[in-house]
Amino acid sequence: MNIRYLLLEARITLRNIRFSVFTIVMPAVLFLIYCGLWAGKGAAYPDGTPVTASLMVSMAGYGAMGAAMSTGAQIAFERGIGWQRQLRLTPLSGIGYMLAKGALAMLMALPCIVIVSILGVIRGVELDAGQWLTATGGLWLAVTPFAVLGIMIGMFASPDSLQPIISGSMMALGLLGGMWIPAAVAPEWMRNIMKVTPTYWLQEVGRSAFAPKATLGVALAVLGGYALLTGLLAARRYVTDAVRV
Amino acid sequence: MTKTIAAQAVAGAALSLSGLHKRYGEIRAVDGVDLTIAPGEVVALLGPNGAGKSTTVDIMLGLSRPDSGEVAIFGKAPREAVLSGSVGAMLQKDNLRADVTVGETLAIVAALHGRPERAAETMRQAGIDGIAGQKCGKLSGGQKQRVRFAIALVSEPDFLVLDEPTVAMDVEIRRQFWQSMREYTSRGRTVLFATHYLAEAEEFADRVVMLRAGRVIADGTVAQVRSAVSGRTLRAVVPGASADQLAGLPSVTGLELRDGRAVLSCADSDRTLRALLAAFPAAHDIEIAAVNLEDAFLALTSEENL
Repeated sequence: MNIRYLLLEARITLRNIRFSVFTIVMPAVLFLIYCGLWAGKGAAYPDGTPVTASLMVSMAGYGAMGAAMSTGAQIAFERGIGWQRQLRLTPLSGIGYMLAKGALAMLMALPCIVIVSILGVIRGVELDAGQWLTATGGLWLAVTPFAVLGIMIGMFASPDSLQPIISGSMMALGLLGGMWIPAAVAPEWMRNIMKVTPTYWLQEVGRSAFAPKATLGVALAVLGGYALLTGLLAARRYVTDAVRV
Repeated sequence: MTKTIAAQAVAGAALSLSGLHKRYGEIRAVDGVDLTIAPGEVVALLGPNGAGKSTTVDIMLGLSRPDSGEVAIFGKAPREAVLSGSVGAMLQKDNLRADVTVGETLAIVAALHGRPERAAETMRQAGIDGIAGQKCGKLSGGQKQRVRFAIALVSEPDFLVLDEPTVAMDVEIRRQFWQSMREYTSRGRTVLFATHYLAEAEEFADRVVMLRAGRVIADGTVAQVRSAVSGRTLRAVVPGASADQLAGLPSVTGLELRDGRAVLSCADSDRTLRALLAAFPAAHDIEIAAVNLEDAFLALTSEENL
């Protein structure tokens, strides 16, 4: 892995105002608003999950997901303008390029998790060291399928269609996955829909740190399945793309 | 014995293309190109749009795979040549990322080549160190071209490939561009540039390779290619002559007639002139000239003459 390349790309990504606002500032602000609305001191959902910690995981997860997806999807843009062709005239291999994009996507998922977690502490979330590790590090690792999804979208989308696809996917995944309406307060039928989305299970990983009845095993299986499926689609596209160009 | 000599020539060549074919559906983009370029040569790949220049360039760089045929750059496959940094290229499209600065763009390419120190050096070489902090999206066409030229120089390649390097440049920028190219080639580097500007080929190339419909139709020095189209051009005002009558004159190979003004391509202009004056005593303002590269180009690349 070319660290220098990765850091240069990270700097360029973070400098993008739109990116930083939508994946760092917005989730942080939403977290504070939601806390004000729903999270009184010591508030808990009917199943006993603390509200503030749960909102923290949801918003950190939402921002991290968006950051990972939109970073991975930049492939579409670089492919569209022909920058990728220029990169093929350097020692960076095609696989190396995708791994670098994946690593970059994961790196970009970190700031939102860190910032929202710090706000969580300020808002009174109290966890022990192991719980914090799961709620931040575990959540971060669970973002992997979204980095892969972003890369897959980047392999299929055109530069013009990229932004609507990413915004639409984030909205759908956030809404259906229960990031906007907490699953704990949603009606049964809605919760069943939520359980199909990878976003529901992304939050489940973070919540497993403190929720009384978390199903971490299922979460990992579902997320792994999504990562594998999107990864295979991306790989397939990569092979046909290489033949075409 | 002959084969050994040929093999040696190819082994020592900067570029060797043999039997290259590439088709896109029904279109034969490259239809049997053979080309060997010796180290130090500056070669113009000349041809009209759709002649197969860009496809040939893509194949030699390993960006496109030929249906059949071999490519060797300093005896190596394209990808190996890229890995060793011995080939650099300026691709045709404006492919710079608008939100990335000039300095970052070169830093990325230099980092990927494992030679981070080259970023600053190439910017100086290409005369863009003054705009390092600017975003590529804000640059003028000429500046962008220079950034792309700098990218091609990062690995200090011995073989430089330029696909239509000066397209959309104004005259002054174009002059400056070729000035920096000259500095580069004066150090014995090999250059191949695709162009449809005849003047550039004439002025900057040691050798001209003309492509038409995916094939090499002429290959040699500018003087050789010019003489490949034998004959001269006869211009005259010929009142009352029809195109058929003029085309029927002896040794006429091509004809253009507008408002009584005729331009005749002749294999033997003396014969044509005698017959012309005999048939049309009123013909006047007669000029006879040797073909220039442009005429040669038109003659060689137009469908009608095949």
